[in-house]
Amino acid sequence: MAVAVAPRATRPGAPGLPEVRAGPRYWIHGYWRVFVWDLVDIRLHLPILSAVLILQGAGFVLGIGLFFRHIPQAAAIYVSTGVPVLSLLTVGLIFGPQIVATQRTEGSYEFVQSMPVPRAMMTMAWYTVSLIPALPAMTIALLVGMARYHFHLDVTSAVVPAVLATSLTGTLMGYALSHGITNPMTTRLASLSLVFVLFGFSPVMFPAAQLPHWLAEANRWLPFESMATIVRGALVKGMVTGVGRAYLVVGAWAVASALVAARAVGHRS
Amino acid sequence: MGASVIERRSWPSSPDLVSRIRRGPRYWFESYVAMLRFDVASQRMALPEFLFMQIMFGVGMAIIYGFYLGHLSRETALYIVTGAPALAVVTAGMVAAPTMVAERKIAGTWDFIWSLPVPRSASVASTFTVYTALTIPGIVVTLALASWRYGLHLHPTPTVIPAFLLTSLMATSVGFGMAQAIRNPLVTTVTTMVLVFVVLLFSPVVFPIDQLPRWLAEVHRILPIYPLAQVIRASVTNGLVHDVTTSYAILVGWTAAAWAGAAWVIGRRR
Repeated sequence: MAVAVAPRATRPGAPGLPEVRAGPRYWIHGYWRVFVWDLVDIRLHLPILSAVLILQGAGFVLGIGLFFRHIPQAAAIYVSTGVPVLSLLTVGLIFGPQIVATQRTEGSYEFVQSMPVPRAMMTMAWYTVSLIPALPAMTIALLVGMARYHFHLDVTSAVVPAVLATSLTGTLMGYALSHGITNPMTTRLASLSLVFVLFGFSPVMFPAAQLPHWLAEANRWLPFESMATIVRGALVKGMVTGVGRAYLVVGAWAVASALVAARAVGHRS
Repeated sequence: MGASVIERRSWPSSPDLVSRIRRGPRYWFESYVAMLRFDVASQRMALPEFLFMQIMFGVGMAIIYGFYLGHLSRETALYIVTGAPALAVVTAGMVAAPTMVAERKIAGTWDFIWSLPVPRSASVASTFTVYTALTIPGIVVTLALASWRYGLHLHPTPTVIPAFLLTSLMATSVGFGMAQAIRNPLVTTVTTMVLVFVVLLFSPVVFPIDQLPRWLAEVHRILPIYPLAQVIRASVTNGLVHDVTTSYAILVGWTAAAWAGAAWVIGRRR
């Protein structure tokens, strides 16, 4: 009797029946369970993380203005509409890999990976969690920019796909980084170096024309400039061109990152 | 007889004649040299990384500020170039040194160091010496690379010696004192990150102080970052900075305060 009870996994709400690990219901249920798991996991970090993102966003908007004696309106708009990209990427691309690196150091990585939930749903759940602190930070940064530099936004409905695509690609890149690199120290260093690349060497908060030609060319194929283009294109009129191409570049990075992450998490060690 | 041999401590030069006295300048100096060897040996893997990090940060930020500003006038470029070494000093003294102190706290190394038969002041002086000495090449290399990037020629004066020494010593002392005073190493790490953010965005290091709101400018006249940048800038340029006496005085004040704070923290019994 003990043998009959012990190995039987059951469908939630239908005790006694073997669980079918397939189908939309199983996927949605798995998504919800991991979403709650992730929220509980970072519950102590979440208020601090939200505060850090808000201060980081507002800090960049106000601080970069001090570099100029009189900041040109275009530069002010670039900074104010570039900072939201930074807010959207911080959790998925920077904080996420740090968490996975910590899991690897502590030895809980294999445990989390062994949970009976589709890996894609684990990614989507983490993606949803990463939006929770990012969206208010992004909004506040924009409001601070408008209040400080006196410009008006022209927000269109394209802001929804722009924000979702940017943060999804960032989360997938963070996933590829954290699962593709097995050494936690290298993961930490790579994600921290990306911060430097993102805010210093990518035309996110300033026009690409201010970079050396070779770096501007390289950035046409890297994801950050394109992310800024699609977000900025949805927030202001007449400042960006090539939004379609930018979506293609961002999409390509999302697919490539998803493939790397899928290969890494599907690989048996 | 065995016991008397073990208990006898002696001067290195006269092994069996005089009991060793643990005080006086000679004993302090010997302890200081021994701790210098200890610090260099125990940090030998981290020190090159420390040097590399401060140069990368200083030069990297000098380049990045240029990207943000777009077209630069000669004066703006000069401000960036002569501000970059201040960023290297801050990275070394107020980020790397506190991180080292925090890591040693986590590892319990300080308990071991304080238990060594050397004066604590010699131990602290050794740490200050190592980090100050290592910061100076960072300043020179950062200045050289940043001026090459913007095609500027600097005019170093003999004041580079006191300027580089005092700024490095002040930053190391404040960073060390801060990390010793904060009990929780995690709080130290967060504090250094906040410090970097404030220095990069809200400190008049690579731009003139009159670009700040008045209240923030007044605060910076008392904090050590602005005087640090001014003293270095004055030592390598002509006519850009007038009267650095106040800046020197403020740096000396912060160094003295950091030493006093460090002495109080490490001198007390737990």
